[in-house]
Amino acid sequence: MNKFIRRNLAGYTFLLPWLIGFFALAVGPIVSSLYLSFTDYDAVAAPSWIGLENYEFMVKDRRFWKALSVTFSFVVISVPAKLVFALAVAMILDRGVRAIGWYRALFYLPSILGGSIAVAVLWRQLFENDGLVNTLLGVVGVDGPNWLSDPRYSLTTLIVLAVWQFGSPMLIFLAGLRAIPQELYEAAEIDAAGKFRRFFAITLPLLAPVIFFNLVLQMIEAFKSFSGAFVISGGKGAPLDSLLFFTVYLYNEAFSYFRMGYASALAWVLLLIIAVFTAVAFWTSKYWVHYENERS
Amino acid sequence: MTFSRRTFLKGTAGLAGSTALASAMGGVAFAQDKRIRHFWWGNPERDKRTFAVIEIFNGKNPGIAVEGETVGFNDYFTKLTTQIAGGNMPDVIQNGYGNMLEYVDKGTLKPLDEAVAAGKIDTSKIDPSGIAAGTFRGKFYGLTIGANSMATLYNTRLFEEAGIDTDPILWTYDDIKTIALKIGEKGGPKGTDDLTADWGGFGVYCGQRGFLNQFTEAGELAFGADILVDYWNLWKDMRDAGATPSAEDSAAIAGMADLDKMGIVTGKSAISYAWSNQIVGTQALTQDKLGAGMRPHLKDGKPGQSIQPSQFICLSRDSTDDDAALAYMNAFVNDPDMTAVLGLERGIPQQSDVRAALEPKLSEIEAVSVAYFDAIQAHVAPLAPPAPAGVRELEEAFEQRSAVAVLLGQMSIEDAAQQWLDEAAAILQRAK
Repeated sequence: MNKFIRRNLAGYTFLLPWLIGFFALAVGPIVSSLYLSFTDYDAVAAPSWIGLENYEFMVKDRRFWKALSVTFSFVVISVPAKLVFALAVAMILDRGVRAIGWYRALFYLPSILGGSIAVAVLWRQLFENDGLVNTLLGVVGVDGPNWLSDPRYSLTTLIVLAVWQFGSPMLIFLAGLRAIPQELYEAAEIDAAGKFRRFFAITLPLLAPVIFFNLVLQMIEAFKSFSGAFVISGGKGAPLDSLLFFTVYLYNEAFSYFRMGYASALAWVLLLIIAVFTAVAFWTSKYWVHYENERS
Repeated sequence: MTFSRRTFLKGTAGLAGSTALASAMGGVAFAQDKRIRHFWWGNPERDKRTFAVIEIFNGKNPGIAVEGETVGFNDYFTKLTTQIAGGNMPDVIQNGYGNMLEYVDKGTLKPLDEAVAAGKIDTSKIDPSGIAAGTFRGKFYGLTIGANSMATLYNTRLFEEAGIDTDPILWTYDDIKTIALKIGEKGGPKGTDDLTADWGGFGVYCGQRGFLNQFTEAGELAFGADILVDYWNLWKDMRDAGATPSAEDSAAIAGMADLDKMGIVTGKSAISYAWSNQIVGTQALTQDKLGAGMRPHLKDGKPGQSIQPSQFICLSRDSTDDDAALAYMNAFVNDPDMTAVLGLERGIPQQSDVRAALEPKLSEIEAVSVAYFDAIQAHVAPLAPPAPAGVRELEEAFEQRSAVAVLLGQMSIEDAAQQWLDEAAAILQRAK
């Protein structure tokens, strides 16, 4: 033991800043939020223990279910759409376009700006009633709807925003495509396999690990998505709760209505949902993801 | 942030000799200053004036260094909540009549009765109604910065062109509809904004129907679904007649407090609805001259509009130096140099001497708002008791969900009213 400490002391000393940050800024709040989720806490008076009441309340909370359905719709549509789009762009770029570095940087740009408030504000201005999109539609004689204030279109507008931020999965796809040996394609071509055949028989299976990786990352990100919906919906999920993302609901419960206990419970439910979805993705991956160094 | 340009300049001034004490002690003035933080929600104009007032105060009170913090209204209470949770609320905060009770009940404010008795705060010039409005649960918490009431703003050019001469102090909903249609006929914009999604407008209507206090003693809703159904039908009638902008347009701005979204500013209508302390700010955004009238009356109804304090400044639970904070609060409402800078921006001052000092220097639109205020005195209802906790959530459910569902035709008026009442009952129950 003594020897162990002596041998590793220097290492842990160097790790100390990270360890302190990890325990004080991550583990501490996580544990306390678990505790708070079993309390009634208004951020002023001390929390009082109420057992499972917060979780029981969710079952009959209409807005909780609404928030879940909005979030699920967003995840189910935006993640596949974004992955398909990212893969399509990656395949175009993979065909040896000139000045590819520039294009890569250019396509990646929205993703760098992606989480930022500025892009959400830009999006709001583009799609506002008298915004650029409707002005352009007007030029070709189309009377565009209120993209953001009509509950029928608001979520779609946000999904388009998410898909537009396809840069990081695209880069990963591009790397994955580059790793596929060219001779496979050459062999297939000699056997007279067409473009589609080559895509489904070679590209897709060999890219499966990369697709899986992107799928899991994007899914988690989509579940946690906040800033776009928050900015575009005026912070409240408007219009008519059509943009009431789970995180927006959680934020409002905590910081608009002082219900820190309930908000903590919501946060744990979200964590649980993400965990289940990720686990399911991993479980199904056995059947469709094949790694080259494995025998299947 | 603690070492702002202002404190630095002040410290330099202290060394230059304006504060004998600081030099005598040989210390640096800003290091020993009692720091007072003042937090308010504002707009650029208000912020400019308030920072100027702080500078005046700091100049006159060498031992105290007031620092201003400001955000827009929509973020104000979020930030305050975080500060309450963290136990670091600013010393002096701003609050409104509608939210006060919630903050008093949570114990986030200190009562001012002792300070008044000890002469640290001089309330002798403030109207008794202002004192009464700042008193909650038998204790005095809110030092009023100005009086306020709702108002109807109209475009005088469009009114003249349509030849309208209805008395804007006494007009009714029917008058508004007639005027609106007349203006529409002239080919101008639609006549009036749609108040379907205006919680304040509904409050006035409740008063007109005899529910000046919308809540019972027990903190439940005092009125039934019929009142809400009638209110929404009244505006549906206007909408169907073509007196308002489209339902979609009205839904798009539901729940937004921004002045620049009002029809009278965007040019979508000739009549908009706001507060009397927003008359000056709205005029700044429009070309045509604005006129001010009361919110429409209900024919054979009771008065539904009240005069209330626009805002309070309050001493927070976390104040570190009460005496210094109280000195600042007292000066904020009584010091003639400071009140002259603040002017009417936060409402009509409720101190007789301050009002008298301001009157000769008023701009044209400021004079309109003072004249408006004088004219409504005989036609307003008494101030309703403060609303129970949870009212902000009620308002959001009303404006952003139920009313929008009505506007977009997603629910019948009867269903939406019933749904809001159910939701309101649950919200009030939960907030207890």
